[in-house]
Amino acid sequence: MARSFLEYKTDAWVQWCPGCGDFGILNAIHRALAELDIDPRNLVVVGGIGCSGRTTFYVKGSNLHALHGRAIPLATGVKLANPRLKVVIAGGDGDLLGIGAGHFVAVGRRNVDITVIVFDNAVYGLTKGQAAPTLPSGVKTKALPGPNIQDAVNPLLLALASGYTFIARGYAYHTAQLKEMIKAAISHRGTALVDVLQPCPTYNNVMTNQWYEERVYYLEEEEWDPVVKTPEEYRRKVPLIAAKMLEWGDRIPLGVFLKDETKEPFEERLERQMPGYMDNPPSSRPISVDGYPLADPWKVFEEKVVKKVEASY
Amino acid sequence: MVDLKILIGGPQGGGIESAGQIALKAFVLKGYHVLGSREYQSNIMGAHSYYLVRVMRRRPRALTLPVDVLVALDAESVLTHFEEVRPGGFIVYDSGTANVKASTIAPMAKPLKERLSEFFGRRGSEPTVSEALKVAEERGVTPIGLPMKQLLRRVAEATERPLASISRTVNIMGLAAGLYLAGVELEYVKDAIVAQFSAKPKIIKPNVVAASMAVEHVSELHEGLPRLEDGPLKGKQLMVATGNELVAMAKLVGGLSVQTYYPITPSSDEALYLEEHRYFELNDVAKERLGLEKMGIVVLQTEDELSAINMAIGAALAGARAATSTSGPGFSLMNEAISYAVTVEAPILITLWMRAGPSTGIPTREGQQDLLHALFSGHGDTPKIVVASGDHLEAYWDTIKALEWAERFQTPVIHLVDKYLASSMISIEKREIEPRGYPIMRALKTDGDLRYKVTEDGISPWVPLGSSTMVITGLEHTEDGFATEDPVARDAMMEKRRRKMETIKREIPEEERVRVYGARDADVVLVSWGSTKNPILSAMEALEGEGVGTRFVQIRTFFPFPEDTVSRELSEAKTVIGVEQNLLGQAAFLVRAFTGYRVRHMILKLNGRPIFDDEIVYGVKRILETGEETVVVRGGS
Repeated sequence: MARSFLEYKTDAWVQWCPGCGDFGILNAIHRALAELDIDPRNLVVVGGIGCSGRTTFYVKGSNLHALHGRAIPLATGVKLANPRLKVVIAGGDGDLLGIGAGHFVAVGRRNVDITVIVFDNAVYGLTKGQAAPTLPSGVKTKALPGPNIQDAVNPLLLALASGYTFIARGYAYHTAQLKEMIKAAISHRGTALVDVLQPCPTYNNVMTNQWYEERVYYLEEEEWDPVVKTPEEYRRKVPLIAAKMLEWGDRIPLGVFLKDETKEPFEERLERQMPGYMDNPPSSRPISVDGYPLADPWKVFEEKVVKKVEASY
Repeated sequence: MVDLKILIGGPQGGGIESAGQIALKAFVLKGYHVLGSREYQSNIMGAHSYYLVRVMRRRPRALTLPVDVLVALDAESVLTHFEEVRPGGFIVYDSGTANVKASTIAPMAKPLKERLSEFFGRRGSEPTVSEALKVAEERGVTPIGLPMKQLLRRVAEATERPLASISRTVNIMGLAAGLYLAGVELEYVKDAIVAQFSAKPKIIKPNVVAASMAVEHVSELHEGLPRLEDGPLKGKQLMVATGNELVAMAKLVGGLSVQTYYPITPSSDEALYLEEHRYFELNDVAKERLGLEKMGIVVLQTEDELSAINMAIGAALAGARAATSTSGPGFSLMNEAISYAVTVEAPILITLWMRAGPSTGIPTREGQQDLLHALFSGHGDTPKIVVASGDHLEAYWDTIKALEWAERFQTPVIHLVDKYLASSMISIEKREIEPRGYPIMRALKTDGDLRYKVTEDGISPWVPLGSSTMVITGLEHTEDGFATEDPVARDAMMEKRRRKMETIKREIPEEERVRVYGARDADVVLVSWGSTKNPILSAMEALEGEGVGTRFVQIRTFFPFPEDTVSRELSEAKTVIGVEQNLLGQAAFLVRAFTGYRVRHMILKLNGRPIFDDEIVYGVKRILETGEETVVVRGGS
């Protein structure tokens, strides 16, 4: 029997503006967690700084609220220490693709088993509406003194180039579809991106709900199979996937673009490097026996001991 | 009294470090304690570097010049160091370089070329290798020319290998000749070569042959040199390791389970050495009790230092013993996260290997310029522990202690070490790194589940992520971790932070935080910190011999500052002299801030080379004679 989504709510006051896309995403997260039946004690929601980062306080879990831009490394540290935890990052496009963009790239290279949910509204809400990295150039939202003169980054292509093994895009107000994407992302073993387009009713007066509704469609409406099972299939599909990711304008595709099953998650790489890592992860492994260290330094570091060695040469 | 000093100079990439290490090993096999230090430039190949070795019956405490033997593997080494050899000493050089002019040596620094032109111009000559050797000879130094080209050809013939494949053995030729002149028998050099290259057996033979040929050549010219007697530790096994390596060892011994890092000199070698040993064999007791053979440490190279420290914090909050290591520029990037670690009360260790700044500065050189940076790192009020180690073994034990302090007080610990400790090597006896009597235990308080509970001692119950539902945030928070801006809740948390500092001060004993050496009634009190410790101790002995009694206050923790001892020691002293390798006299600044006492005299070294004991002797005597406020010492090439 799955848990109720109500079990994942907290008693903290949700402080977002009325009509904020964040509500839809939060709802989808609550429902996805309930359907996956994840024990809140094994769930770590790592939030960034900004409106979306407050998700940390609104989902019941063993949660962490990071510094601006640092949700990914902080979450990676948690996961390396205790690979049994389910780790979900909730951050804005400014946090994850602006100040934290280096980490956004690096986590893909490692394929750490965590889910990155980008609350993508193209503006910095909490600091009153400056242009965020996904705001297209030429767009003038109401807080900007003139049209944006910097180009937008494409989160999906950046994730593809960085090696993410699960890449999806949802829309905040389509809670049912978004919930399914988040479920699939959390269930995926490896680094997963869910880029969630969302209106910011307070500061983004251009990319409104109506603006999005006129443009978005789902990949499922066409023939689309995001699953990649072999390196050969990856090479064949990647140009098609990249082309689809580039589509933006009158039509904006939503759905799971890629689910790559060919790459080993980071935790498995560590286990291969150090058998026993998963059974005795850093968070809980013994550090000593009766106060004595686990290893004898003179033996472990024997190569530093100067000895006369008999050798024939 | 044996006190041998050898300098091996040559181009970077020319095996200078290997030669230095082989020298250290040869002397250890002969029964001596050693100290060796590598001076190198921010360059991969070609720039001048050198290795300084000192050999004594007990562990040498400082480097010093002049040396007994200079092994100059190229012209630049002769021209850089010819004045650094004592009368009666030797310069081993490549006789093929005799006519090389300083002006034709591309990698040589322009200011040095200018100084040489001026020096030789005054003598009416030009800076060439042979002119430099003449100057040395006038001072009673004997130049020993090795015909490197001919010797190399003979090595190639004897080993039946192509010349190009054995040309790198020139370092060993020079070294073997130098060690012969220092009274070390060839067999020790051979044994040291075998020990050094045990992982690369193919290159042992050409190196041994090269050593033999060089010694043969020199011994024909110089028979009957006095042999060095065997040292007191002959037959006893010693380890030879750098400060980087000792800190890595301590992390493993101290139970570290996650280390993150971003490459930076002079810290990366620590992380790399730990990584080499990340999957280590347990001792017999642990094997039996845990039913395991091996245990792992996750050592991860991150995309930058922002990631390195945040990842360590995440790991620590999930329950791992976590650390990161860096140097000044990397630590600058970590600042924001120091503040975060204080707020979320993350037990992490940051090993800060200082180097000479400001900015990129002289990145491979010595400096003690990051004390204030470490102490005041992080925005907002950020109480933390800052500990500075005085020598290699202190760095080892402080690492183990710092891991425990971080946990016990749930706070970041910044461990200050420096480039000199990082890349210099010492000989170590087994008992010196055996953790006996210092228990290694998890030190996390477990008396509840309210993560940020306001307690009497300022320490809250430890609740790792994944054990209960909770929230941890860098925002100000209530006892349950939820964000708040309530003024009463805010005051409660700020007061808790203050009480935690008081607890730390109470629980880390004063004798751990400051050490005092020397006679109680001494007229001169030296106050210092970090790797100047051993040079100061060595200088104190020399000063004693000259009738100058000294006392030395070594400050070890700056947060919490040992006010009582420092205040007492300094206020009673006639002359107080600070010794530091930074411009401001950063520790003296803190002495004044914490105790109100103004340190009136300073001996400073700023040129990026480690301070020598005789420089401290000079500085103390000069201050006593002239009353000068600041003496800047300038030794080293």
